[in-house]
Amino acid sequence: MKDRLTRRSLLGKLGALAAGLAALPALKTAKAAVQKVLVSSNAPKGYDPTQHKWVMAIDINQCIGCGSCVEACKKENKVPQGPYFRTWVERYVIEKPKPGSGEARGKTHVDSPDGGMRGYPATPVPKEDILHSFFVPKLCNLCEHSPCVQVCPVGATFDAPDGAVLIDPKYCIGCGFCIQACPYGCRFLNPVTHVAEKCSLCYHRITRGLQPACVEVCPTQSRIFSDLKNPVPNDPIQAFYAKHRVTALKPHLGTDPRVLYAGADREVQ
Amino acid sequence: MRLPPQVVRLLLLTVGIVGSYLLAKFLLTPASFGQYGFYRGDALMEIASHPIALAGRKACAECHAEEVEQLAKFGHKNLSCEGCHGFGQAHADNPDVKMEVLNYSHCVKCHEANPSRPKSHKQVNPKDHFPGDKCTECHIPHAPSEVP
Repeated sequence: MKDRLTRRSLLGKLGALAAGLAALPALKTAKAAVQKVLVSSNAPKGYDPTQHKWVMAIDINQCIGCGSCVEACKKENKVPQGPYFRTWVERYVIEKPKPGSGEARGKTHVDSPDGGMRGYPATPVPKEDILHSFFVPKLCNLCEHSPCVQVCPVGATFDAPDGAVLIDPKYCIGCGFCIQACPYGCRFLNPVTHVAEKCSLCYHRITRGLQPACVEVCPTQSRIFSDLKNPVPNDPIQAFYAKHRVTALKPHLGTDPRVLYAGADREVQ
Repeated sequence: MRLPPQVVRLLLLTVGIVGSYLLAKFLLTPASFGQYGFYRGDALMEIASHPIALAGRKACAECHAEEVEQLAKFGHKNLSCEGCHGFGQAHADNPDVKMEVLNYSHCVKCHEANPSRPKSHKQVNPKDHFPGDKCTECHIPHAPSEVP
């Protein structure tokens, strides 16, 4: 062995070790300084996302298409003016089949002017020709296997442990992949912040024990919101399951949505 | 044995690149990253810190218990106060901030006849049903079934 442990070399090595140890807390401080990004002070206290599992159920038979939910959602979440909606209400008008056409039902018309917020124009066909017409409230379908989360290149959108699919606005780069990936058309690019936006289940409300704005204002209880992990006595969601045959939208896509619909017709997608 | 100088340079460069990557990763990865999954755990509470605008029924009942009780006896029992009266968190925080003044033009929002609405829902055509009269001349919004 060529190197011999001399006093000089030992002192040098000890010095390097001390410097390394001293650098550790300095590194920690540096990290804390780098991490010192805006820490929110009015976040709700004591909310544990692993102790909840949120679910939304929609009864199409109850919806009267008043648009209160759309308006409330826009106000509550400060959604910009214009064609940007976190929730909206579609009107379905299914015509009677033409006599002798050999079809069970006629043409389907779907519209949602202004998200249904300011009412609907006259039906596209006269009342006598309508076989069936109804309103369908739409929102984030809370997929168990969310395509939007899978395509996000920066990990800005994620499935929270409580079932909400959220967007971290600090990480979102506004590439729009998720907007294309969502099979339900639930996302849009916010023209003000330039990040993707979607229904957050009113995360700021549900974490404080309130109901989402759309559920709160719905005059006919066509929206039911519940926590599967903390069922209350006479839980509305259990009554909903007991009373209705429920379905999800586009089940063939394997997204496994947790927003359930009762009374959805074959045409509803 | 001495390593050739080009190999030493390459090793140093590798250590430099990998080291700066590790340092950047250490400094820039938020502490909460990976708390629940491959995302920033703090984002949840940041999203949750958004201010509330719609106060909710409970907040209304704290001061207006009488009205809430009356409403609960009639057909409009499932209606949210704020569905008609406008958003009330600002008023709940500071009662000096007044609520919107109602002009009862919004009754038709729910009760205008529409072939797409469920048949069980009460609907009128405002053009045939006492046109020109205000709804509240006959109907009491907090007790809608008490009508002539």
